[in-house]
Amino acid sequence: MSGVVRTAWRLGAAAVRGRAGRHLSQAATGGAEGGGAEGGGGSGSREAVERLVREHPVVVFMKGSPAQPLCGFSNAVVQILRLHGVEDYRAHDVLQDPDLRQGIKNYSNWPTIPQVYLNGEFVGGCDILLQMHQNGDLVEELKKLGIRSALLDAEKDQDKK
Amino acid sequence: RSFTSQTDGEARVTQVLREKFPRASAIKVVDISGGCGAMYEIHIESEDFREKRTVQQHQMVNQALSEEIKSMHGLRIFTSIPK
Repeated sequence: MSGVVRTAWRLGAAAVRGRAGRHLSQAATGGAEGGGAEGGGGSGSREAVERLVREHPVVVFMKGSPAQPLCGFSNAVVQILRLHGVEDYRAHDVLQDPDLRQGIKNYSNWPTIPQVYLNGEFVGGCDILLQMHQNGDLVEELKKLGIRSALLDAEKDQDKK
Repeated sequence: RSFTSQTDGEARVTQVLREKFPRASAIKVVDISGGCGAMYEIHIESEDFREKRTVQQHQMVNQALSEEIKSMHGLRIFTSIPK
């Protein structure tokens, strides 16, 4: 089943700062980051993030893109979704947008990337998604969204033997 | 890797968790950044997590370590409930 990977790119006003060793505190101290808009109306504002998480049943905030993840944990999320046959989802590369990168952490009150949202609701990061995949919860959650996991078909084939 | 040696970071994080989760039956903190204090793996078992969704359990840990997390690059959390 060939799916279409749709990625929505968020290009922030500020250039991507290739700063190694970024801390999770990500101090939103106004101009310190040299980032674009602050607070209201910016790409990292509560309203902007709210709009993004509701855009699609499956929304992922990650480093890099599904075609080219730039972090092991983000890659894990992409691979897990792929296993379930979920290739059509919204992926946002936080490395392209420092405001979004901080905004999404404020929104979910969660310090790390990647972040997975199902039906607008924050589900967790890579570890939680992996757990859900292993205990069958992910198949259930996808079903609630009207998405049939590819693994169900794989299981059926096995049972036949 | 010797069981007796623990980095300062691991000890500190473990201490904070012990204070914030007095009911915890098991706490294990491992520095998975090669001793740099940049990334930790946290295993914690406690009654406090019963009846809570995984993401909520993890939020509790995030909250407890909010100060320590500021200087980390990443962390992995594994919560469980005593049998």
